[in-house]
Amino acid sequence: MSDETMSARDVIMQRLKAKKSPQEGAYPLPPVVTLGDQDASPERFEASLALMGGRMLSLQDGEGIEQAIRRAFPEMRNLCTAVPEVEGTLRIEDLETHEQADKVDVMVVRAAFGVAETGGIFLSEVELKDHLADVHLAQHLIVLLSKNELVGNMHNAYQERSEFRTAGYGVLMSGPSATADIQGVLIRGAQGVRSLSVIWA
Amino acid sequence: MKIGLFIPCYIDAFYPQTGIATLELLEKLGQEAEYPMDQTCCGQPMANSGCNRDAKETEALFIRNFSKYDVIVSPSGSCVHHIRDNFDAIEQTDEVRHVRKNTYELVEFIHDVLKVREFPWAEFPHKVGLHNSCATLRSLRTASMSELGEPFFSKPKTLLSAVKGISFAAPRRPDECCGFGGTYSVTEEAVSARMGLDKVTDHHDAGAEYIVSADTSCMMHQQGCAERNGVPIRFIHIAEILNGARA
Amino acid sequence: MSNRPVPHARLAAEFLKDEPHRHFHDERLWDMRQKRDEQMHIMPEWQELREQASRLKEHTLAHLPQYLEQFEENARCNGIHVHWARDGAEHNRIVEKILKDHGHSSIIKSKSMITDECEMREYLEPKGVSVTETDLGERIQQLDNELPSHVVVPAVQKLTTDVAKTFARYYNTDPNIDDPHALAEAQRNAARPVLLSGDTGMTGGNFLVAETGSFVVCTNEGNADLSANLPNLHIATLGIERLVPRMADLGVFIRLLSRSALGSPITQYTTHFRRPKKGGEMHVILVDNGRSERLGMDDFWTSLKCIRCGACMNTCPVYRRSGGQSYGSVYSGPIGAIIDPTFNARKFSTLPFASTMNGSCTNVCPVKIDIHEQLYKWRRVLAERHEIPFVKREIMKMAGRLLAQPTMYRLAISGTEVALKTMPRFVLYNYLNPWGKHRELPHPVKETFHSWYKKNRLNRTKTQREETQA
Repeated sequence: MSDETMSARDVIMQRLKAKKSPQEGAYPLPPVVTLGDQDASPERFEASLALMGGRMLSLQDGEGIEQAIRRAFPEMRNLCTAVPEVEGTLRIEDLETHEQADKVDVMVVRAAFGVAETGGIFLSEVELKDHLADVHLAQHLIVLLSKNELVGNMHNAYQERSEFRTAGYGVLMSGPSATADIQGVLIRGAQGVRSLSVIWA
Repeated sequence: MKIGLFIPCYIDAFYPQTGIATLELLEKLGQEAEYPMDQTCCGQPMANSGCNRDAKETEALFIRNFSKYDVIVSPSGSCVHHIRDNFDAIEQTDEVRHVRKNTYELVEFIHDVLKVREFPWAEFPHKVGLHNSCATLRSLRTASMSELGEPFFSKPKTLLSAVKGISFAAPRRPDECCGFGGTYSVTEEAVSARMGLDKVTDHHDAGAEYIVSADTSCMMHQQGCAERNGVPIRFIHIAEILNGARA
Repeated sequence: MSNRPVPHARLAAEFLKDEPHRHFHDERLWDMRQKRDEQMHIMPEWQELREQASRLKEHTLAHLPQYLEQFEENARCNGIHVHWARDGAEHNRIVEKILKDHGHSSIIKSKSMITDECEMREYLEPKGVSVTETDLGERIQQLDNELPSHVVVPAVQKLTTDVAKTFARYYNTDPNIDDPHALAEAQRNAARPVLLSGDTGMTGGNFLVAETGSFVVCTNEGNADLSANLPNLHIATLGIERLVPRMADLGVFIRLLSRSALGSPITQYTTHFRRPKKGGEMHVILVDNGRSERLGMDDFWTSLKCIRCGACMNTCPVYRRSGGQSYGSVYSGPIGAIIDPTFNARKFSTLPFASTMNGSCTNVCPVKIDIHEQLYKWRRVLAERHEIPFVKREIMKMAGRLLAQPTMYRLAISGTEVALKTMPRFVLYNYLNPWGKHRELPHPVKETFHSWYKKNRLNRTKTQREETQA
């Protein structure tokens, strides 16, 4: 068959099989490795988060989560919530348009887990109630995270957390949106959330 | 041990004192070295330009000149790198393999083969900036490379540390290429000269009075850049310091 | 596309003329290299990670057909439409058709080197499709109608004042803004309505995972998450070499990628797409565009290991002083210099020579591509194919002949000696023009080493011998 009558897929496959320089036997699949520091402590998570521009929001004595959020964002006009612990001003499930989400000042979600090495938190369609883009349209993000749901480093994350195999959309957010595209100056809040705060809960 | 001394063309023509220091130093260290009079070049300029075929006759001449020696020593890291790693325009006979395997850059020869650590006659009461050429650093591996984060070592610095009165400047970018690059220095002269100026400025700002190196070609370029831009810094080959030059 | 060799030396010389740009560019990229080093120093496993990454990529490339089939099958099971494109033109036609089928005409797009490689914007825009880059740096380059200067920081060659002028033209902002924060805010405000109204989202991708049929997109701005999730149609374009076998292998690559690129432990957003969102549609286009041919090149196939971190560019002393635009290509710097000639050997014939072959690039490469050795090999290939300037070829031929004949060589050398001593300065500097433009020539000497040796050793030995004989 000529290139014209074969599908692009078959042409590419045929080219690869016909010409490939590296021989299969010479390059066996290396076993999976787990390297480096596997400390999964909250202290390591907090230090990593700070490095990535995120921050911890700790509850003061007798304070509830929602109170703490209101204290941290006194100017907040609305608080969109994806968690039962926070009542907020509207629930994420009730967002009907992205334009509505665009006007959200603060969004609060629960992360499935966190990665101590990077201060990363994992969100999927499960935690976001299928509002995948809306979480990124909000101005500020509050993340509830359980100290029991921490993994040490990225090797641990991919090996131990089943969410990578079950989620349709899964984002590891390590701190807020950032850019250094203009003269190398670091700017938080480029396109997505301007800040990311984690509450142990 | 019969040593053949390889003095590359630019040292021969522009920096004879480096060749003389190399020979005298080897003699001080109890070695007998001989300079084959018909030598010219190792073929690197052609090979680095992609014109490897044009290096064939030059490489053949090099073998005719040097195959009779047990070891070949040269005060030029980049030439030794070429001979050791890229000298393949000619057929790889036993003679060629012998030459390639037994060619040493001066510092590694003193450090690794003669294992000499003392130069009682040497005194250099100056602050020097050590320039490791990319060939000695990343090909001959005579010093640790900053990109790999490996434990610090430096064969040239180990040798120089035995010299009375010497001290070392700490440039900001010790491993940065100076921009010579053989024919690169003319094919991309603007970038090359900028790199050279940045290099000498870095050493000068670190307080170096001299730049010392095991590669004269880098220094020929750096000296040209320093002089054109009025950077007050001097240049000296490591062989000259180890041989006892005072300035 | 013009076939004329990219005049890298001339473009670099022009770039160097402006002191503020030159200085910033060098320092900015050097700072990225320093930050990368800091990360390496706190990770004792760094070299082991590089080795593992290299072996994983080599294994995958050696088994590419199987892994592509595995990815395709799993992605299809997940509900992703998988397309194959032999080249850039076919890729662009596939995108056009997907849009047409949906009646769509506005793409919001996160940064993707491969769509630039396919020249997708140039193809779609005349057909009435709007393509808006949502990454800040890439958007700046789009507005200025320039190729990305760098694979990770596309507008790194520009200063705040340049961006202010560009934004003033398109966003009606003050052309004299000197605060990057204000400019970034202007971009955020300009991008939001476009993001909200775009009907098609496009992303590139850093990794394809064969085992799960998913793909990973790493960004810092979060613009890929917005671009992919806002519209109901998401098209992702990836090169066929982006594969890794297993989900667990991502640990190795994610740990290396951003540390090598920017010196940050991870990108702010590491996003895993495995199936279309509820009510949405997802397409993955797998692009060959010369990759299968490169995989057949014994000396150059390992360049396909590249994960586009840009570490080689940050460390390259030539790139830092030339600027990305001087490479005239989507891919600049050392990695560009070894892959660009596979796209067009004549046009990019100058790039393997835009290097001092210092080897720093090879040392920082997280997947251990022997970049500087491939530069050296490309020079040979290009010379053999007569893709280097005639004059240079002739000079090398002459040099080769001269250096093979000791007697002629000696004559020539003595000529130089005389010339250096006696010729007036201007004649010399004309003759050796490129060297002398920004540098002094070496000082003339009394005698060559050759003649010193003859006098002080050969004759002395002879005299000694004569004395002994006598």
